[in-house]
Amino acid sequence: MTDAAAQSSTQVAAQAEDDGFYHESALNAAWTGSRLAIGGLTFLFGCFVFAYFYLRSLNSSRRWHGSGYVHPSVWIGTTIMLLAVISAGVQYFGLERIKAGHKAIWQVDAVIAMALGLAAVGLQVYQLADLPFPPGSSGYSSVFAGFYPVFLTIQLAALLWLEILLARSRFIPAMSFVEQPPTVPGTFTVQRFQASLSAFSTVWNYLALVAVLFWLLFYAL
Amino acid sequence: MAIEIQPERAQPAGRGPGIAAAKRRWRPRPGVPAGLIGAVAGYFLGHWLGNLLGGGYDRSSLADTNDVAIVLGYAFGVLGWLAGLGVFNDLFLMMAGKPAREEPRLLGTQEPGLAKYFRYTLDHKVVGIQYLYGMIAYFLTGGLFAMAIRSELLSPSYHLIGPNQYLMVVGEHGTMMMMMMSSVILGPFGQYFGPLLIGSKRVAFPRLEALGFWLTVPAYVILLSAVLMGGFSTGWTGYEPLATQSTQGEDAYFFAFGLMGISMILAGFNMIVTVINYRAPGMRWSRLPMFVWSMFTVSFLQVLSVPVLVGACYMALEDRTFQTAFFTNQLGGSSFLYEDLFWFFGHPEVYILALPGFGVISEIIAVFCRKPLFGYKVSVAGMLGVGTASFFVWQHHLFDSGINPDMRPLFMLTTEIISIPTGFIFLVAMGTFWKAKIRFSIPMLFALAFYFNFLLGGISGVFLSDVPADTTEHGSFFVMAHFHYTIMGGLIFAFFAGIYYWLPKMTGIKLNERLGKIHFWTMFIFFNSTFLPLFGLGMLGMPRRVFEYARNLETLNDWVSISAFCLGVSILIFVINFVMSMTFWREPEVGNPWRTRSLEWQLPAPPPPDNFRRVPVILAGSYDYGVPDALPVADFNPPPGVIGTAYASASGRAEG
Amino acid sequence: MSSDDTAAAAGADASPGPRHGRRLFTIWLVLAVPAVLVIWFAWYPHMPPGRMSDSARHQQFDIAVLAVSAAPVIIAVLLYFIYAIVVWRARPGDEGDGPAIYGNTKVQATWIIGTTMIVLWLFVFGTVELVVPAGAGAGEGPSPIWNLTGKHTAAWSPGANDMLQIQVIGQQWAFTYRYPQFGGMESTVLDLPANTPIEFHVTSLDVIHSFWPYVLGVKADANPQVDNVAYTTVQARGGFKVRCNELCGIWHGAMTTDGTVLPPAAFQAWAAGVQAQERSLGVLAVLPPYALTYDPTVIPQLGKSIIAIDGITGGAGYYYNSSDPVTP
Repeated sequence: MTDAAAQSSTQVAAQAEDDGFYHESALNAAWTGSRLAIGGLTFLFGCFVFAYFYLRSLNSSRRWHGSGYVHPSVWIGTTIMLLAVISAGVQYFGLERIKAGHKAIWQVDAVIAMALGLAAVGLQVYQLADLPFPPGSSGYSSVFAGFYPVFLTIQLAALLWLEILLARSRFIPAMSFVEQPPTVPGTFTVQRFQASLSAFSTVWNYLALVAVLFWLLFYAL
Repeated sequence: MAIEIQPERAQPAGRGPGIAAAKRRWRPRPGVPAGLIGAVAGYFLGHWLGNLLGGGYDRSSLADTNDVAIVLGYAFGVLGWLAGLGVFNDLFLMMAGKPAREEPRLLGTQEPGLAKYFRYTLDHKVVGIQYLYGMIAYFLTGGLFAMAIRSELLSPSYHLIGPNQYLMVVGEHGTMMMMMMSSVILGPFGQYFGPLLIGSKRVAFPRLEALGFWLTVPAYVILLSAVLMGGFSTGWTGYEPLATQSTQGEDAYFFAFGLMGISMILAGFNMIVTVINYRAPGMRWSRLPMFVWSMFTVSFLQVLSVPVLVGACYMALEDRTFQTAFFTNQLGGSSFLYEDLFWFFGHPEVYILALPGFGVISEIIAVFCRKPLFGYKVSVAGMLGVGTASFFVWQHHLFDSGINPDMRPLFMLTTEIISIPTGFIFLVAMGTFWKAKIRFSIPMLFALAFYFNFLLGGISGVFLSDVPADTTEHGSFFVMAHFHYTIMGGLIFAFFAGIYYWLPKMTGIKLNERLGKIHFWTMFIFFNSTFLPLFGLGMLGMPRRVFEYARNLETLNDWVSISAFCLGVSILIFVINFVMSMTFWREPEVGNPWRTRSLEWQLPAPPPPDNFRRVPVILAGSYDYGVPDALPVADFNPPPGVIGTAYASASGRAEG
Repeated sequence: MSSDDTAAAAGADASPGPRHGRRLFTIWLVLAVPAVLVIWFAWYPHMPPGRMSDSARHQQFDIAVLAVSAAPVIIAVLLYFIYAIVVWRARPGDEGDGPAIYGNTKVQATWIIGTTMIVLWLFVFGTVELVVPAGAGAGEGPSPIWNLTGKHTAAWSPGANDMLQIQVIGQQWAFTYRYPQFGGMESTVLDLPANTPIEFHVTSLDVIHSFWPYVLGVKADANPQVDNVAYTTVQARGGFKVRCNELCGIWHGAMTTDGTVLPPAAFQAWAAGVQAQERSLGVLAVLPPYALTYDPTVIPQLGKSIIAIDGITGGAGYYYNSSDPVTP
């Protein structure tokens, strides 16, 4: 009996070791995955940047803008861009606070960031639904009407992720962010949450950067 | 979904109503039947919504052919299909803050029976088997279209199927083969053996991986649905503005291709993260099997190049539904833009198709030469070199198009440079064969045929890379022969090599050897007899995708057609062998029949649900054949503390 | 796994077996030299696309040079594999392993340097062959940088080295040829003068086509709103076929036109005759007199009345209705 007990205790120890191994892998996977997602998204957005400059420089039939062209509202565009940037900033500030152990501040910040993000998406939908030009009237109008639906879909997906993080954070005691939880599963949960949160933060900041870049293309250039 | 990267919980969470699967639920169990219901319901919902939103955008005077309705129908159909499969269940759970369902496999139990193959199962081995059957079905469908093409080309004018049907068949064949077959090795073998070969119990994102497979099914169905709408007239490249001019079948083409693109991105994404983070201790980059290297490189190509395809398909669909003008020259768009975007994806795609073949074959020759792989580092450099260079050559598809003609010498150079890393594959093979003890098993025969075919395919590529010579060959049957030699002669031969090599491991059953040999020899002979004359046809001035050709080419075309039918019979022999061996004969093969050193063959066949009881510690490379005192490849029951030290030091390094 | 094998492995690691290498090299030489000679002397003169034009001649030369370069490589690799299969196959009952050779720096370096040299040679050769024969007959976009020498005049005359300019207009599913130097007259056949530099301006009215007079060694995509220029000089007289080389819809396979190469004087007589005929019929009045790029869909007066004169101009009546034989 004692033999079997000893064996089962080594088994448990071995299992814990393996779990630790895959826990570590999962933390790294969140890091790698977010960077890779940024890589893939860059190529997706890059295809619109390419279309923008290609059609602009080609100006076929002299219809990059075309005659009788009306520019989309700069006010709405700038507001959408600023909402995305401020949302990323607020969330980033919250991330710094949660790193210092203040869960509640992050939660408030995350809710604000989500509201700002949703406002940006909503305003974007409004702008697309009420375009001052037919989408096919020029090269510019095509790229404009083509890019923003993609971008807002991806923003929405990221906000979904933020919602998941918010929901998970409810079940993690605020104390866990200050000192290591007593149990191994508790530690794992917190570390997973942190890894996922910092991965999200990277992607959300990246999306804000993309919003600025395309604002420059569509409104400033 | 692609950016949802929440790490999965391998640890049973000690709170909440964890595993309460026994509760009776009123709703149907997630699975294929529920998915079908969801798909049909979703299609009609989307179609209705599309008519509501886009009623004013009607392009066609025919009733009920609104592109917006069709595209939204497809989109909602796919969502309904996924919802029926239960793809979103975990997402909703997580949104409510609850832990996702626990995968039974990760608790060390395996679900008996076949039902798991018809569900959204997260076991990478189940996904691999799903892919295997799926890919064979897609391949056979594409092959039947090829038979129809060759039947029409028996005569120099049209006699069997009309020009419109001919284009439909050509488009379906090309698209089915180019888009579905891009996962033909990454799907079955990559998903199944990738984690096993790196010594991992799991993959990084099992949900994304399984989603990748379940997207191929709607992609296939949607692509075929084009047949109901008269097909699409653009071939597999979907060139604009012909595509904008086409009827509703074109929506199916773009939607299916984009959907398959997303599937490829997900599969590649999961593969890269898994290979980087889930390697067992001791599985250094310098010990990684060549097959994993090929999967790794291909995955990078997929994650980085396929978004451009998705973007291009999306733009084309926008042109057709939202009435943008990306590709209409008269409205400020450009037909060149589509060509550039498509081929920026399209050329890496060629290597997405070719590289997995290199990987499979590299594994096989080392085993059956009973020698270490010659020049392992060169081989890796070849893979990575091909992968990197493939992003810089796309303009060679457009030498005669008038796009940046002054750049042609540069693209000629990059195209020819890519033959250097491709040549490494041959260097490695030739070095491995040197003084080897070659055993002619069926996988090895396919590997040898692979080198023969790929040699001809590769050398003919040099003719195409040369701009002056390409002026004659571009867009002719010469190109057709070239890429059939590299893709069918390369990838598909490697796929069959993989089936004969790995099926005993995946299922514990081996295929009939006699029929296998007949399959190999007929396939090899008739493959060459079909495609070698096509080089001549192209040189003699036969353009691609024509149903009418010069009368003097009839004899050669008839020869090709008859050979193609024989090739079809050869594939039929394989199908018979596969079906009979898997269902009726069931000849067991549980050991290590090839006496392979590599990791997956050290496990029982089929491997246990959690792959390895413990995280293995890799002790030696898998190619150490002929080394008298070679260490075993891995320690499957490492002493306590070893694994803990491995990751503790790793994380210490990462933070330090 | 016997000790002999490992000893052999150690020996092989240092230097590849000289016997095998020499044998392989001898067989290769015996096969490759005749192959190269046969390709160059027997096959090259008959290789496509023939020698009807300057660019075709250059392409034929290119294909032959590439074939001569490729044949020894193909023979070497295939020979090696066949040799390996015959010599190094496992004898029945032999369950042992081969020698553990992990690599050989000298072999690998030689291979890498060798393939790099071949690639550089192909690049230099290809570039020279692209630049010297004025873009090798391929489409060069609207502003070609490698062009033929010849006088650009608004009126062409034989024997003065005048560049003959032809606008090729693709549409579903026909090519129309417009001769700006002959008052902008249009023809559905492509007649060309021999020994004259020719400049094609290829464009399309609808979707992408590709202008491919196969034996002339010219290929240029026709994109709407794009002027794609290609050059050639036709040397031999005779007839030829023009095909469409880019999928352009259901009758793509049937999109062919005929062409003839005439002596320059005869060509001028033909062209001037068509010009006079079209002028007298009033066709030329609605066409611009001299323009290298012109798109009939944007000429306002053509939109008003579509002139249908059979057999004279493809422009008449064909620009607005697709010529679909099935559903007219």
